[in-house]
Amino acid sequence: MKVDAQDMLKELPLKLADMKGVAVVVDDDDTDSAMPQELRSWLVRLRLLEGVPFANLVADTELLPEESIRWFYLDRRWTDALVQGALSVGTVNSDDRTHLTAQYDAIRDELDQEERNYRRLPGTPRFGGSVDAVSGFILRSQGVSGWPGLHVRAFTVDPEESDDATYPEDDSRRMRLLRLERLAPAVLFALFDGIPQVVHIEEPRQGVQFGFDMTQVGSSSKAQLQPRDRTTFKDLPVPKIDVPFRAGDGSSGVVDIQALERALKKHPATGAGDGLDAAEYALQLIRFPYRQVFGAPEGLTIGTVFQATIAYSQYVALDFIGGGTP
Amino acid sequence: MSIDEGHFRLYTHVVPALKAGDYRFATTQSLTAKDKDGDVTADRLPVEELHTHLRVTSPRYQLPPDQILSTYPPAGTEGAYGSRLPQVVIKRRTLPWERSVEGGDDGTPWLALVVFAEGEADLLTNVPVGECVTAGVRLDGPVDIEKGSCLEIRTSMVRKIMPTRKDVPLLAHAREVNINDTELMMGDDDGFLAVVIANRLPLAARNPNGTEAPVKYHACLVNLEGQFTKLLPESPPAVLLTDHMVLQAATVLFSPAEYDHMTMDVKHAGGSSVMGGLLPHGDAPEADAMAATATRSRLSEDPVTKSNRGSGAWSRTVETSPAFELFGGTSDLGYSVGSVAQFVDPKLRFPVLVQWTFTSVGEMTFELLMREADSGLHGTIGEHPKQAVGRKPLEVVETGHVGLDQRTRRGDLVRAWYRGPLLPHPADTTSPRLPLAHTGDQLRAVIPDGREDLSLAAAFEIGRLLALSQPSMVASLLRWRQIGYQAARGRALWDGILDGLNLEDLLLQPGKLLGTSFGRGLAQAIGKNPGDTIGPPREIMTAGTPMNFDGDPVTLVTKGFGIDLATDVPLVSFLDALRGVDVPRMPLADLSKAAATKALTGALNQVMDASLVQLASGALSTQIMTTPGGVAGGLVGGVDVVAGGLGGMFGGVPVGMPRGAAMDEDAPDALDLALQGRAGVDEEDES
Repeated sequence: MKVDAQDMLKELPLKLADMKGVAVVVDDDDTDSAMPQELRSWLVRLRLLEGVPFANLVADTELLPEESIRWFYLDRRWTDALVQGALSVGTVNSDDRTHLTAQYDAIRDELDQEERNYRRLPGTPRFGGSVDAVSGFILRSQGVSGWPGLHVRAFTVDPEESDDATYPEDDSRRMRLLRLERLAPAVLFALFDGIPQVVHIEEPRQGVQFGFDMTQVGSSSKAQLQPRDRTTFKDLPVPKIDVPFRAGDGSSGVVDIQALERALKKHPATGAGDGLDAAEYALQLIRFPYRQVFGAPEGLTIGTVFQATIAYSQYVALDFIGGGTP
Repeated sequence: MSIDEGHFRLYTHVVPALKAGDYRFATTQSLTAKDKDGDVTADRLPVEELHTHLRVTSPRYQLPPDQILSTYPPAGTEGAYGSRLPQVVIKRRTLPWERSVEGGDDGTPWLALVVFAEGEADLLTNVPVGECVTAGVRLDGPVDIEKGSCLEIRTSMVRKIMPTRKDVPLLAHAREVNINDTELMMGDDDGFLAVVIANRLPLAARNPNGTEAPVKYHACLVNLEGQFTKLLPESPPAVLLTDHMVLQAATVLFSPAEYDHMTMDVKHAGGSSVMGGLLPHGDAPEADAMAATATRSRLSEDPVTKSNRGSGAWSRTVETSPAFELFGGTSDLGYSVGSVAQFVDPKLRFPVLVQWTFTSVGEMTFELLMREADSGLHGTIGEHPKQAVGRKPLEVVETGHVGLDQRTRRGDLVRAWYRGPLLPHPADTTSPRLPLAHTGDQLRAVIPDGREDLSLAAAFEIGRLLALSQPSMVASLLRWRQIGYQAARGRALWDGILDGLNLEDLLLQPGKLLGTSFGRGLAQAIGKNPGDTIGPPREIMTAGTPMNFDGDPVTLVTKGFGIDLATDVPLVSFLDALRGVDVPRMPLADLSKAAATKALTGALNQVMDASLVQLASGALSTQIMTTPGGVAGGLVGGVDVVAGGLGGMFGGVPVGMPRGAAMDEDAPDALDLALQGRAGVDEEDES
């Protein structure tokens, strides 16, 4: 047995570099894996861009004008760099760094897996596999501030049902949300686990509401109502009725129910023919949450999506798919 | 008849069997009987009437909080509620029909939901219930609370915003839902609810320049008992467009001196007061009421009235002045103006059972917003980009990179490329992942156009700063690195050490147990086969070194002293020769103190011993002269001849001599022997 302390310390980095970390399939939020669990959960949140200043997400306000929705793919290199920056806090000397280099692949693989388990319903089984491509959108709109609690659903395929169908939570075509958060009162940020074909954004369903469809006409507003059949609750195939309002200054927004009744009388199926009663009136007024469907538009060229100065598709083919530099 | 889940059924009204109030039951009984004369007359079978008193109670001035299931819009919220009618959901299905209003049938509810903006009416709280109704109206029957809230509203406003008598029945309905369904239905036991809807859309107001402005609305569930006839019987003419309230931030200057003499008894001390307020358009009293006053003044508004009230007696001015003038801001909007006396436009009071407030920020519908939203990939410039003033135009390229000003570390202002994590094109998932960088500078890149691309370097720095900003994360990282790194270092070192050891079946685990497990493994291996690891165990008894004499002892001794026995030397000259041998000496100064002490003690003992020997040899000289063998005996007779017996060797210096050894100054002593390494050889056996 021969131990030379000098040689041994000299060869230490080589040995440290050989000690590759092993990625563990995490099966419990509270157990340590290749890294301590508190660090793991924090890094997962960091990778989903939690806490990243908004200016670093959207570098210029002109990139996100008012009343706009911007779709994006998540840059994995950027989030990797983000995690690397966080990990660099723990390294002090070069042996440390050598060791971290050996461990890093395992850490990254674990974070790839854990990313999809961050927004998991409590009590549901953990998701296996790792996140491949991540995409999402930023929505800046009064719709975000005015309708807190929007529902966002993403689908891997364009559902065959009509756009107003309902889908159960565990529909296999539904895509998981990695993150859905209001970054500012009027800015909604969403990340999907994959690249969706169709995204639904739906008004919050806070109970039954009564109201009209409003449109602006100059400085005034016009309200419209689609008459419904009183027995089947289906929309009648008639044009919308303009909702009458009480005339005169100071009665802004006051609905003239008598005049509305007279207007509905022309459509006996509404039940107004023999005089409107409270239930029939309520039935006509019920509003359902509106759902906006975002999908791949047809016949859209890349040039119209993105005003490019160079032919964009060519650029993509050469530089991104071809593996060139970004 | 049950309701399917997710369905509900609407009822026009649910009228209770008995409306609220005091009742008296008179129970009579008539008996018939026959006797032999035929039928017994009724007066022979008297039955006393039974009078039972019964009171049906119902809330009147205040709705218990547990009766309200929900309100829409939620209380205290701010939102785009302009296209939805406010509503309140009550748990007791019969509540809106439990009291009757004069002029209404059983299906006419006694409740109405009134929605008004700030300034259109007043909500008074903590008013004795007797004053909660308009003066002159009396509500008989028991009261449920002592003090309640009431809505104070001008008759003109009643005509404008409150429902007509024909509207009221249409605005309340009952709803039956499946109680297994969620949302509003939680906690309701039979699935029946009563709903009261408002007749007014809470539209947002407009600023004079046409933009939308938030308006705070009050929603009050009022009691119409006794005052149903105050409502309009029929709705006034309708229009298909509704105007918005126009807010005007007006600065109104009053000169008290100018008006005091007209209306006020109270002196107003101030020279002038400045008021600013939001003046909702159109909540001024009816213009036609102004005909009586014959003066068209420009503007009188309740908000001003309200602000006046704060400054003392001003409020009376507005209410009682037959004609008072108020110069507002420029009003090209042309709204009607009036000042109205209480007798022309009296204030009415309605008890308020429930009230809440919310703010309507616009009547944009969600549908419109989403349809009109400018949808595009990140990096798309909008269809009508706003040119920013005072800064460079946005520089964005197809890859999503944005040109930004960068101040370099040397202080130069250059232009660099930056792209956040949001790409306008699919991320490349096939190429290898980003290798680990240890500093942000490793991720800086210069692209062919000569500018730096700082995207990843910025990401690295953001990650680092975010980690540093959280002390708990810094601590966690350091702890993890420390433990991980030390374990790895320990393992790497031990691997090197243990390479040379034959540790069978010993699994080393790095960590705290390494030392323990290594010690156990070593002990185990040694215990199994100690001979291989350490060597043969020591004998219990240590044997002495066997003495080996071949030949005549005297010959050996003389040979050892370097004396040729062949030469016949007389013993005296032999001794002389011995005496002449030069004894090597060591200076005492070179010795340590303890050694010097011992050497000195030894030397003194030698002298003493030598003196003793001389005395003894003087006495025995005859014998010595005649018996040569006795010389050796006399000189060194006492020496133990055990190997290593020259005890007391200290640094090569004999520090103890056996007593009785003949010591001549010049004689070779044990020191000589030791120095010459002959201790084991130069032994004499005089036997």
